[in-house]
Amino acid sequence: MALKKDVYKEFESVVGEENICDDPAIMPAYYSNKFAAVILPGNTAEVQAVVKLCNKHKLVFRPICTGWSGMFPPDIILMDLRRMNHIIEINEKNMYAVVEPYVISSQLQAELFKRGLNFCIKGAGTNCTAMLRGHGHMDQTTSGDDRNHLAIEWVTPEGDIVRSGALGSSDEWFCGDGPGPSIRSILTSAVPPGVTPGVFTKAAVKLYHWPGPSEFPIAGHSPKYVLSEIPANMMARYYSFPSVEKMWQAEIGLGEAEVCYELMGFNAAMVAANITTCNEEDEAMFNRLNKEVQGPGFFVIIAGNSPADFAYKKKVLEKIVEEAGGKSLKTLEDPELEGIIMCQCIRISASIRETFRPGGAFNSIPIMGQRDLTIKWAIGAGEAKKPLIEKGLIVDDGGAFFGWGVEQGHLGKTEIFCKYSPSNPTAKAAVETWQREQNRRAFEERYFASTMGPQDEIGPALCNYSQWWSKVVKALDPNGVSPEGGSLV
Amino acid sequence: MIAKEKLVKIVGAANVSDKPAALDEYSSDISFVNPVRPTWVVKPKNTDAVQKLIKLANKTQTPLVPVSSGPPHFRGDTVPGIGGAVIVDLSGMKKIIFVDRARRVAMIEPGVTYGELIPAAAKEGIRINMPLLPRKTKTVVGSMLEREPVTMPKYQWDISDPLACIEVIFGNGNEFRTGQAAGPGTVKEQWAVGGIQKAPYGPGIASWHRLIQGSQGTMGIVTWASMRCELLPSLEEPFVVSSSDLDTLLDMTSWLIRLRMVNECFILNGTNMAAIFAKKWPKDYQAIKDTLPAWTLFYNLAGYEYYPEERISSYITDISQITRRLGVESVKSVGGVSANEILKAVQQPSPEPYWKLRYKGACEDVYLLTIHDKLESLIGEMNDLADKAGYPASDMGIYIQPIVQGTGYHCEFNLFYDPANSSESNRVKELSAAAVKGLMAKGAFFSRPYGENAGMILNRDAATIGVLNKLKGLFDPNNVMNPGKICF
Repeated sequence: MALKKDVYKEFESVVGEENICDDPAIMPAYYSNKFAAVILPGNTAEVQAVVKLCNKHKLVFRPICTGWSGMFPPDIILMDLRRMNHIIEINEKNMYAVVEPYVISSQLQAELFKRGLNFCIKGAGTNCTAMLRGHGHMDQTTSGDDRNHLAIEWVTPEGDIVRSGALGSSDEWFCGDGPGPSIRSILTSAVPPGVTPGVFTKAAVKLYHWPGPSEFPIAGHSPKYVLSEIPANMMARYYSFPSVEKMWQAEIGLGEAEVCYELMGFNAAMVAANITTCNEEDEAMFNRLNKEVQGPGFFVIIAGNSPADFAYKKKVLEKIVEEAGGKSLKTLEDPELEGIIMCQCIRISASIRETFRPGGAFNSIPIMGQRDLTIKWAIGAGEAKKPLIEKGLIVDDGGAFFGWGVEQGHLGKTEIFCKYSPSNPTAKAAVETWQREQNRRAFEERYFASTMGPQDEIGPALCNYSQWWSKVVKALDPNGVSPEGGSLV
Repeated sequence: MIAKEKLVKIVGAANVSDKPAALDEYSSDISFVNPVRPTWVVKPKNTDAVQKLIKLANKTQTPLVPVSSGPPHFRGDTVPGIGGAVIVDLSGMKKIIFVDRARRVAMIEPGVTYGELIPAAAKEGIRINMPLLPRKTKTVVGSMLEREPVTMPKYQWDISDPLACIEVIFGNGNEFRTGQAAGPGTVKEQWAVGGIQKAPYGPGIASWHRLIQGSQGTMGIVTWASMRCELLPSLEEPFVVSSSDLDTLLDMTSWLIRLRMVNECFILNGTNMAAIFAKKWPKDYQAIKDTLPAWTLFYNLAGYEYYPEERISSYITDISQITRRLGVESVKSVGGVSANEILKAVQQPSPEPYWKLRYKGACEDVYLLTIHDKLESLIGEMNDLADKAGYPASDMGIYIQPIVQGTGYHCEFNLFYDPANSSESNRVKELSAAAVKGLMAKGAFFSRPYGENAGMILNRDAATIGVLNKLKGLFDPNNVMNPGKICF
């Protein structure tokens, strides 16, 4: 439903005629939904004015920045934040950066590398917003989930500007908590099916030391970029183990020893996907690696702050791997492949080749938290994939799952994919059934509860959290203009 | 007033008191908040009793003030804000529910003190990231809920650390568990499948524990908490670096933390070094003060299971490059205080008497958060304010604690005074208020607003207070939980 002309004019007066559109020929370029209008605010004040107008006219809005995913009710105002793409500050002494929503991770990371800094690149990829909450390859040293946000500037669903923590009291971004109870408890962003209602207009994210080069020495041409040399004091290896138990022994040992820059529990299929440039190469490489691995494994990057630090880390890595019966994958010791996957994991976040390329679509069950527990569940979920593989409904990855340690093994994430062709309805249905059944098993056996499951069942089993969250949202958004669901990715 | 028999029915006659001595114990503390006498003190022993007390409080509109640590209290948060309150003293809930070496996590009830948890955790090979020399009666849960800074910033990934999950009875009487503890199912069902309660976020997208932290008991009562623990090192090598130039030490600190080379790491001024490490009073106190340079940085290198000597050796090599560049020297003792002695001290609670009370019998703390570039000017401002108030700046203890892996600093001014000397007390009271006002004007952030100065702090951020009041209305709609504190 289009906006009334006078209402349209009100929005136009805020953002200018160049930054609002209700043209039915152009709006579908965003999504297949019908929107009332697409509005592109350029700063916090404009976001606030747009939100206030939405409240005045009882119009539902949904912000979006880099657009990896999203769920959009029809006839809403789509607030496209792409004009808000500035890195506001990189504070080297206090290790944080302040970004607007459309600053993408690769843009920020490039600037950080020049200063010997890095941050958590989320698994969604470096083309996604840098302020996204989530997990990624370098969680071992850069943490993940909701733990990297500091202060946040937030336009509430009613159009108030709230600046959390030190920002609200002393105009500093280094702390997002207080005074008193922390509103970071509800400023959390982008994991569907729920997000904080309103719009985050700026956020400070934690930074971490980067021991690597200010720029990777890239050679070659798209799609096959390689490193002309492995950077000093850095090394990447893939280790496979005789059993899941042995793999876990090594993974937790390495976490406790604090020696890995990255520890990613890739399976052979994911390694193959990341070092190849097309499906044909991918399949051949997977078959080759499958013969080489002795069982489950993980990919490791170590990065020393000095030659002595590197030597120590390498020695500990090799000792722990040896004790667990691990074996380095010789194929990955080839510096060309070592360099490719090092870059894929650090600079690109190694998602796109492994997720979309083989089948065109994938469904996933991601679980954050206790790694040893979720591995136990994932073994069964992997076994349950095998009949689908045998029937040719999903891409053959050997029934694998993957995961990694977060914060040097204190926390973790485990995830399992089914990759399939979206044009095959039988495959799609089979994958959805697998997903439903494995989520149900996790729930019934008390491993975890996917909060994307049926809320009437999940909510009561999780202390009625969904009712509490609904009350929070209602208190913040009395006019219901900023609906739950959707994504700021 | 709530009837005694109703309280007795919930916690038993032995755990309800209205004896004047018992009530007096909770009616004031070392802070400058106005004394208010509670009407009852109750000591529940389990979650069920806590929940029943909160439900009763809602029915009778009775204020509840939760307390977990023993006296002396310093911040006024456990002194009732209004009359007619019931003190809910949780100090008797002392179970260490589990200590799990493999997952580096422990779960305890709210009455467990550092002195009790440290040996239990050490037996399993782990330890908690703890604040600097907490008093003997300080509980671990109380400290974590107050977001007290911890001495190992390397392991503080998030300001909420080391807190993991909590069980809380909200002000409306509903039970809730945060993070991984929320479910599915009960905690015991989770244990049965191998689950522990460690991941702090969720359930759903919220981080519910953050709402309880810093709330001074105004949202609900925590009946247990779990916390991440760190491995006990197999080898430790502590050092001190002294300098009259704070900025140099801050530079060094930021690199030590950025490169994740150090465990315990903090800076003390000479007064606090003397207040903590003097053995014979007042002789040692003055001697240490006279000998020490203005500032002392303490840091500790640690090795774990694999090649600990090599790890420490590589750190020493790398750190020597930093000290050379900055023109300072890492040594093993300063002013007669050895680095090993400091290390041993800061891995335990304070011996009695509590270090903040040794010098003059009382202490008012003014603490703030800030960034590297502002810290020195804030200390300068505090010195000026002390001078103006007639408080000798040389008597003021200063503790600087890097927080959250180097994203900021906790800076604490310890104003020691004689509580029996009314003019000195008044001077410190006035200085405390003036300091909060003056330091805020210079950009200090007071993330933990207590007592008399809370209003002044909160008034700077009306937008956040507006949101907090909405949340308070949901979780404690009848405002029975510690009314009169923070902005509630």
